[in-house]
Amino acid sequence: MHSFDQVFTQYQDIVTTGVYGSAIGLIIIGLYAVLLKKNLTKIVIGLSIIDAGIHLLFVAIGYIQGGTAPIFSPGHEGEIQKMVDPVPQALVLTAIVIGFAVTAVALSLVIRLYKHHNTSNIDQIKSLKW
Amino acid sequence: MKKVFVLILLAVVGLYLSNTFNLISFGDNRVGEVVEETTTVSGYYLKETPTKSEVANVVTAIVVNYRGFDTLGEVTVLFLATTGLGSILFRRKEEEEGVERLSKPASSLVSTGSRILFPLVVLLGVYVFIHGHLTPGGGFQGGAIIATGFLLMLISYKNYKVSHSTLGWVESFAGISFVLIGFWGLISSHSFLQNIPQVGELNSLISGGVIPIIYIAVGFKVAAELTGVLDILLNIKPKK
Amino acid sequence: MVISPVHYIAVPLLAAFTMPLIAKVSKELARVIPGLVMMYLSFVSVVLMQQVIQSGPISEVIAGWQAPWGINLMFTPFSGFLATLMSFMGLLIWLYSFNFKKVDFSQSLKYQTLQMMMVTGATGIVLTGDIFNLFVFLEITAITAYSLTAFYRERDGAEAAFKYLLIGSFASVFVLLAIMLLYTQLGTLNMAEIAQKIQAGELSGTMKTTIFALFLIGFGIEAEMFPLNAWAPDAYSQAPGPIGAAFASIVVKAGVYALIRITFTLFDIQGAHMYLIIAGLVTMVIAEVSAVAQTNLKRMLAYSSIGQMGFVLIAFGIGTKEAVFGAIFLMFNHAIIKGLLFMTGSYLTFNDTNKQISSLRGFGKKLPLVSLLFAIGAFAIVGLPPFSGFWSKLYVLTAAGSKEMIMLILIILGVSVVEIIYYFRVVGKLYFSKEENDIEVQKPSINAMIPMVILGLVIVAVGIYPDLVTGFFERATDMLLDKAHYIEVVLTQNVVN
Repeated sequence: MHSFDQVFTQYQDIVTTGVYGSAIGLIIIGLYAVLLKKNLTKIVIGLSIIDAGIHLLFVAIGYIQGGTAPIFSPGHEGEIQKMVDPVPQALVLTAIVIGFAVTAVALSLVIRLYKHHNTSNIDQIKSLKW
Repeated sequence: MKKVFVLILLAVVGLYLSNTFNLISFGDNRVGEVVEETTTVSGYYLKETPTKSEVANVVTAIVVNYRGFDTLGEVTVLFLATTGLGSILFRRKEEEEGVERLSKPASSLVSTGSRILFPLVVLLGVYVFIHGHLTPGGGFQGGAIIATGFLLMLISYKNYKVSHSTLGWVESFAGISFVLIGFWGLISSHSFLQNIPQVGELNSLISGGVIPIIYIAVGFKVAAELTGVLDILLNIKPKK
Repeated sequence: MVISPVHYIAVPLLAAFTMPLIAKVSKELARVIPGLVMMYLSFVSVVLMQQVIQSGPISEVIAGWQAPWGINLMFTPFSGFLATLMSFMGLLIWLYSFNFKKVDFSQSLKYQTLQMMMVTGATGIVLTGDIFNLFVFLEITAITAYSLTAFYRERDGAEAAFKYLLIGSFASVFVLLAIMLLYTQLGTLNMAEIAQKIQAGELSGTMKTTIFALFLIGFGIEAEMFPLNAWAPDAYSQAPGPIGAAFASIVVKAGVYALIRITFTLFDIQGAHMYLIIAGLVTMVIAEVSAVAQTNLKRMLAYSSIGQMGFVLIAFGIGTKEAVFGAIFLMFNHAIIKGLLFMTGSYLTFNDTNKQISSLRGFGKKLPLVSLLFAIGAFAIVGLPPFSGFWSKLYVLTAAGSKEMIMLILIILGVSVVEIIYYFRVVGKLYFSKEENDIEVQKPSINAMIPMVILGLVIVAVGIYPDLVTGFFERATDMLLDKAHYIEVVLTQNVVN
């Protein structure tokens, strides 16, 4: 049975492309939803997907091959050299909460717009002209 | 026409991002030397945390202590989201009567299951944020788990009420305690949010000084705020 | 307890968390708290500014960890000046909006909290020395701005706020991507250390350009650079009056500060200055031309504000000491003058839901003091002596002249003529049109008059005697252009741990 390390070194290119590719793919899908969808809720979901892609990218760049979680649990104190980078994880924690807050405000605006204009189609809510 | 234009733009953006990120090899050791001389910030954190701060979970130490100011900002962002939500949606007292959250009652499987699971979920959440400095987890994670428990109850029962005044008190107290701990550090050691009581050894529940206290306050605050947000969003009277 | 820069952030936060509790005890007291906080912060500003003048920039570490491992706050002459400006403008805007929405108390409480936090967020952007912290404060400012834009129920606030939110989220995405890439290359998040490592050449050329471009787009959205400012006219015109003033004098300054800090202190790219000039020029021309076509007073002021920001970018782009001095002076003037224009404009169009300029006929007689102050603001922003706007324009044009950018001078003068056209159109309506007797006006209350009069007096005072402020701006200019000093103050600070 191959360990993850062995698989990783053998197929490094594929793993790299897979990880980064899926994160970037999420960003692209989210961007597609924000730019091309008409329904307000779908636009907000697209924003959320973009956020998810960015957070995934952030965590991915912190990975060190063969590394383990940066926690000094009893019995594992000596593994200090093999711990993954803890800083991106801390930053992503903050970024996730901020993304949640923005999504909450966006959804409340969608509710307000729906009540006011009686539609959730963004093309019909264009009363602010140039 | 617009669709074609946007698709081309997306392809360009995707290619550009992939090219840029392919320059950053995945899994490279960017932390550098840790045991001897540290060159990067992460190396310093990994080296100094078990000795100087007596905290086992390095991510917790970063979030609460080294970059505690960011956490303060994040807690503020949550507070502002709740306030902003309240101001945008403008709930009046009259709207509360006759508000129907569910059109159909949930099935008995869901309602019984929720009632059994709810205390267990809250217990798990409390465990996660109390042990934030020892195991993976912490205030934000624990608070989110507790809020999920409340969500379960909110969507299973039509008349489950969450008292907004209680939530308000918990939120304010938790926020005030966080800032006051910071001021305590400022008064006693001339540095805001400095970690003062150096008690305990590594891996015991009472360790890390003021870090677990802050995280517990954060846990309560996040749970209260997330529940408040969910409750406001679920209680909107649909337009007839 | 020593007075230090962290008070700018910690005291308003404490106040914001306690306001709901105090409101249960005494409603009046809760509404006064933001004012007390702003007064205290203004006092702190004065103390810290004196300290900076005497002994140089202040760097304060948070949580006791020395600079690259912990976060630090930097109170340099430039950032300190901006923080002072924001605190004073915050105080004046609080005073102006004190009786706002007095009818529904819980809404008024939320309004005051959000407004105070917006000022705090902008101050945090200006004072921090750590780039992820900058992002967090950017989000604080952004969320309060979105909520405040949508505050009124009757207008199209929700639509303007939604547009603002979408574009603002893109700004956050770009800034996060840039921070991510920067972290992988350099391993640190502290701005001084980043500057040091880039100077030592640790960043490859392609990466440098990519990261700088991402930052430029991200902060350019907040600084209303073309073509990223589509959110601005809607947001300014739909937000409540005092919030429009706050956007123009506080929020956009923070965005420009972030852009300038990235360009001047962190990166050192050859073409950057030329790019700033071009972007600023395009912004200014398009915005001012659009302003002429507006019939809504607030939208006109919004476009004028965008144009002025373009002018500031041009001035920073020129890059010489004189030009940067002029740019800082311009930021000061713009904050004060635009604040005054929005405040007076709000009262002038109080009873017209569409805020049309045509409804302002003859208000010169009905609201004499307010119209006079608006006229002062209009003359000042166009650049006529003896008001303060004249000096800043003069300095920037002189700087452009010394670098022999004749084309630039001609364009700026042409744009000034356009400004004169649309501002004097309003002033003309105020004073020279026949009165219509059936339009009601809203007389401003005392607490709204005081800030407007104070701003008007400052404009006249600085116009007649600019040396009140110029000595200070020179120090700010010197510090901004001196990268090595910034790095040294942050990284060589000794902290006993």
